[in-house]
Amino acid sequence: MGVAAPVLKIDDLRTVFGKPPHQVIAVDSVSLSLAAGETLGIVGESGSGKSVTALSILRLLPAGSSRIESGQISFLGRDLVRLPARELRRVRGKEISMIFQEPGTSLNPVFTVADQMAEAIRLGPGGSRKEIRDKSEQLLHEVGIRDPLRVLASYPHQISGGQKQRVMIAMALSSDPKILIADEPTTALDVTVQAQILDLLRELRDRRGMSIIFISHDLGVISQIADHVLVMYRGKIVENAPVLDLFRSPKHPYTKGLLACRPRLAQNARKLTTIADFMELAPDGITLLERTLSPSDRKKLESEGRPPLLHPGSLMIDPTLTGTEVSAATKPILEVNHLCVHFPIRKGVFRRQVGQVKAVDGISFKVYPGQTLGLVGESGCGKTTTGRAILRLVPTTAGEILFEGRNFLNVRGSTLRQLRRRIQVVFQDPYSSLNPRLTVEAALIGPMRSHGIGSSAKDRRDRAATLMEEVGLSTEHLRRYPHEFSGGQRQRICIARSLAVEPDFLICDESVSALDVSVQAQILNLFKELQSRRGLTYIFISHDLAVVKFMADMMAVMNGGKLVEMGPAESVYRHPQQDYTKRLIAAIPDDSLEMIESRLARRRPL
Amino acid sequence: MDNSKNDSRRDPPSRGFAREVAGRFFSRKLACLATLVVIFLTLVAIFAPVIVGTKPVVCRYKGGIYYPSLGYLDREWEHPIFRIDKFRNNYAKNLPKKDPDSWAFWPMVYQDPIRRVRADEKEGVPDSETLQPPSIHHLFGTDPAGVDVFAKMVHGTRTALLVGFVSMGIAALLGIVLGAVAGYAGGWIDHFINRVIEVVLCVPTLILILALIAIVPKPTIWHMMAVIGLTRWTDIARLTRGEFLRLRQSDFVQAAVALGISRAAIIFRHILPNALAPVLVPITFGMAGAVQIEAGLSFLGFGTPPPHPSWGEILDDGRANLTCWWLVTFPGLAIFATVLAYNIIGEALQEATDPRLRDARR
Repeated sequence: MGVAAPVLKIDDLRTVFGKPPHQVIAVDSVSLSLAAGETLGIVGESGSGKSVTALSILRLLPAGSSRIESGQISFLGRDLVRLPARELRRVRGKEISMIFQEPGTSLNPVFTVADQMAEAIRLGPGGSRKEIRDKSEQLLHEVGIRDPLRVLASYPHQISGGQKQRVMIAMALSSDPKILIADEPTTALDVTVQAQILDLLRELRDRRGMSIIFISHDLGVISQIADHVLVMYRGKIVENAPVLDLFRSPKHPYTKGLLACRPRLAQNARKLTTIADFMELAPDGITLLERTLSPSDRKKLESEGRPPLLHPGSLMIDPTLTGTEVSAATKPILEVNHLCVHFPIRKGVFRRQVGQVKAVDGISFKVYPGQTLGLVGESGCGKTTTGRAILRLVPTTAGEILFEGRNFLNVRGSTLRQLRRRIQVVFQDPYSSLNPRLTVEAALIGPMRSHGIGSSAKDRRDRAATLMEEVGLSTEHLRRYPHEFSGGQRQRICIARSLAVEPDFLICDESVSALDVSVQAQILNLFKELQSRRGLTYIFISHDLAVVKFMADMMAVMNGGKLVEMGPAESVYRHPQQDYTKRLIAAIPDDSLEMIESRLARRRPL
Repeated sequence: MDNSKNDSRRDPPSRGFAREVAGRFFSRKLACLATLVVIFLTLVAIFAPVIVGTKPVVCRYKGGIYYPSLGYLDREWEHPIFRIDKFRNNYAKNLPKKDPDSWAFWPMVYQDPIRRVRADEKEGVPDSETLQPPSIHHLFGTDPAGVDVFAKMVHGTRTALLVGFVSMGIAALLGIVLGAVAGYAGGWIDHFINRVIEVVLCVPTLILILALIAIVPKPTIWHMMAVIGLTRWTDIARLTRGEFLRLRQSDFVQAAVALGISRAAIIFRHILPNALAPVLVPITFGMAGAVQIEAGLSFLGFGTPPPHPSWGEILDDGRANLTCWWLVTFPGLAIFATVLAYNIIGEALQEATDPRLRDARR
């Protein structure tokens, strides 16, 4: 692959934010080279500097707060770092194009797709009105849009997220760029759409022979498209290897940790390894020390914790499953019968109801004490609304929710407040789910006081301190405000807050989706630990089938407000009955070595 | 990465939201300056009778200790003994005459904001002539009635600040309460309050004040503040309502509901403190607006009734005597500085409390 001369070569790039005393080095002596037609994957967690590297190439970083301190970015003999702004503008969008994570906000909502594409084409190759029109149509066709004419006439809100990302790609391609920089282009998309976009990018790359810099936090996605992978950690490149070598034998402990800490569909671990199992920071705060997992540690990860706890009768249907059944005499802790949540669509001056959105449309399931029910589905399938309906945060249209045999929908007033204590929730976004005006201590003690938990103020403070230690934080953190914590720490605080009222039932609504994979592994392990220690029952809601399969005993797949399929997590994954489930599983990036090898074999030689 | 143990060492000591905002607010030079201007004006307003006046700050008269200068703040606070003894506001002359043993501590400048000072009143203070340019005896000159402009300016500060604080106090109270109720309750209550806001928005403040002056037999400055307050709450209410609507749906409020926390605690502990910061901004802008309304009304001659001197009133005199620049310049600059200071504070608050603007500046 190294035969072709590099299109882009970065030497010792250093990008910093802020002024010297509070200076942050976002990109620290990064060097890379990109051959023509090559796809370079850059992977790293938030704050690793992967996006800043990409933005530095086109000098798209905010001018006031950041600067490229040193280094060279040579693109076909020109140094982009020192190129005058006028000439740089000729490179941007024409020779190097970029697509971003959020297709929803990358398109201007007040112009039609045709207008925006025409603008991109006029800046690039140009042409008459008719030529531009034809070119737009042809480009949309090329990115796999089946009805280009309708999409061209639409405003961005009228087309789906996947179509928006396709339009963005079409615009980026309009001037035949030599390099396409894709910054997390599939992160905001559903997994089935993600698979389509990855297919499209692969196909375009092979047909046009352009180079791609593909940035992602997800090694699974990177394995689908990259020829060569850079792993970034704290602004530095820690590993630089062809994709197969990286997945076969990762060298750096961070890469090893990153590969190991993701829940995988095919494995049956009971606990996840974390990055801390592979490396630790030396006391000086800079040097990384490698650690190795002993075989006994590895064994422990697989055997620690309880085996899956299945619905009565599950083993009869599928005797190959591992796990124990709930005894037939046990009553479910939660029973949902024909639950419907419909939202009215109102129109006109008098706000007359003209229709309804069936967010949840007649679903039924049971959860037994100590179990974890996984609720999985793509965006808009009604999984979150189901969770909120059980919490009574949205009004239900029909159906019943029985909590310990008692209809939760009929209680109100103080009885409702008492029952609410027992069912708690951990939301997705750790940044918005804590009140910024309350210290951690106040956030933990308030709910306790309001339910009369703890005998005195001192007792409650002690309980708060114990809770903090239980979720892996220290008691000194009690006096702090939420903004001083990282995302993972905040999610730990949210968990502590919901545990403060001693619930029996916890609804985790995409609780780990906003976190980096390494943090995600820690939080998932924490959830498992808490379950075995406190005997909690979970409903675990996520779009990520691998995460749900790791967490859940029973898995329910939702689509369009309905339950498509439900059964033991293992058998839903291994023998999916419904087409939708099969499609969902097939769309998950498969990063097994055989898969990468076969993909590389099919790849046209560079 | 989530290494909580390392973070505990690095973290600076905790700061609450209020202190965080204050820190950001005062890190801007202009905001500090504006705050100093408002503090200075407040001090001038409070200590006006000590700075300039013809009534002693403290005096001993017929065996008792009195504070006649309080009469500038409110007529009632001047001890009736001076009225019974027919002082006719001429303390400098009457005190030694009626009680030779008396003593008095006088304000820093011997001039009066309401009447002209006569030649024989106090040693070293000449007779006030009409329309004198600024001089050593009249720092800012005199008006057509021979009253010292400096004295009027100093005592007028009180009016200007009171109008801002009292009227916006009324508006803030009304606006926050109604906006909060509308935003939290929703449904027909929200609908009703919104219609009320729309109706109030249709009534022009100035016309309402002019109508009030025509109806009320003895209009005082308090009537005016009430009218400004009762018409200026709509912006605040709308903003509070919006904040409540937004915050009611936020995850932390939903979590509080799920935790079974009482409604009162959710409103007052979880929503209100978060909604208040953005509401401070229209309040400061409103204060500036109220000062302008008062000055404008006084300028037109419908303003604060006689015993309360006001900046706008001096401007009004300047309109009739265009050659006397001091009648326009000093009150004009004072109004300008006050309104500017309020607006700068409002803008700085906005940037300090709104994370989006804050990040944009960086």
